[in-house]
Amino acid sequence: MASIKEIRTHIKSVEQTLKITNAMYLISSSNLRKARRQLNEVEPYFKKIEATISDILHHSPEIQHRFFDKRPDIRPEDRRMGFLVITGDKGLAGAYNHNILKLAEERMARYPNTSLFVVGQVGRSYFTERGIPIDGEFLYTAQDPTVPRARDMSETMIQLYLEGDLDEIYVIFTNMVSSFKLEPTVHKLLPLDPDEFPVYERDRDCYHRDVVYIPSTEAVMDRLVPGYLKGLLFSAMVESYCSEQNARMTAMKSSTDNARAMLQELDLSYDRARQSAITQEITEVVGGAQAAQ
Amino acid sequence: MADTRTFTLEIITPERQFYIGPAEALVIPAVDGEMGIYADHEPAVTAIEPGELRYKVDGKWEPAAVGSGFAEVKPDYVILLVGFAEHPEEIDRKRAEAARQRAEERLRQKESIQEYYHSKAALARAMARLKTRR
Repeated sequence: MASIKEIRTHIKSVEQTLKITNAMYLISSSNLRKARRQLNEVEPYFKKIEATISDILHHSPEIQHRFFDKRPDIRPEDRRMGFLVITGDKGLAGAYNHNILKLAEERMARYPNTSLFVVGQVGRSYFTERGIPIDGEFLYTAQDPTVPRARDMSETMIQLYLEGDLDEIYVIFTNMVSSFKLEPTVHKLLPLDPDEFPVYERDRDCYHRDVVYIPSTEAVMDRLVPGYLKGLLFSAMVESYCSEQNARMTAMKSSTDNARAMLQELDLSYDRARQSAITQEITEVVGGAQAAQ
Repeated sequence: MADTRTFTLEIITPERQFYIGPAEALVIPAVDGEMGIYADHEPAVTAIEPGELRYKVDGKWEPAAVGSGFAEVKPDYVILLVGFAEHPEEIDRKRAEAARQRAEERLRQKESIQEYYHSKAALARAMARLKTRR
């Protein structure tokens, strides 16, 4: 059995850790509440924008536009793929960062020419450590997603695509299906592919006529697509942030619980050790007294 | 007015659902000027510039400031997806005025093309708010 002193040091260190994990649990649960509210507000916008775009695309004849250009003449081995990976800024969030990084690596392994854009400190240091080059200019934090940040990111992506530096762009983020199910997801940003939008069956959608674009398809798409990408990135960031907080909260909760269970056990063995020390002392005193008689 | 047919109007922004309900008429700031919409409009898609929007509910015109975005129009349904939407009483005149001055100041400096577009967009947003607030 360990000595009393050893057990006491162990108890102290577990108590310290418990304080930290408990504080982190509280912080992430309050952050999660904030992020949840933001998610609830952004979700209808995103659902609508996707449904509307899909509706527009399915009611339009073949669209000739630079955002829809798949560049079929470029051979598969020459295609430059861009990946925008959204990770957390901090670790200690269970498997959250690990899952998203694993998915990103698995995707990137499929293509010979890839460029990597990372949001969040964890992902950045992960790829740097492995010697995988990432875009150094692309510095955005994963915390407190804002619309202007999403706009800056989407502008960068659009520019890279239009200038021909990238032929396809994907965003990899964590989708929060429910608080128990966090799903790493890959979503295609550019070029837009009408076939990838699901057909929304809606009752009111009974017009089998093509829509007209006012003033022109070009002008409308030039504004519609950046708006869509901005909304998409913003909601991807909000989803990821919400997932991160949720993952951290769960991880910290279970480690706090573990620490509590450990403390209980340590307390027991501490008591037992103390008891046996006292018993031994008494035996010694009694033995000594008897010997003196 | 004899014709009081209504259509469903939805004005949605990333921050909130600004308005969902029936409307009799709608005037939006489109790319090439203002565009009026009544029920039974032909299906159309158009882009929206920052500016002042008006929609008519129960015979009363309601103004609002909107940011850039786009609209999908169908005979009985119009959806507007915009960067922001605000009631006149929500607009902080002083803040919008300050934003306008900041944007104008920035436009006078030498900027990259990207910065120039940002400043111009900021100016357009400020002007839209000021115009609606009056």
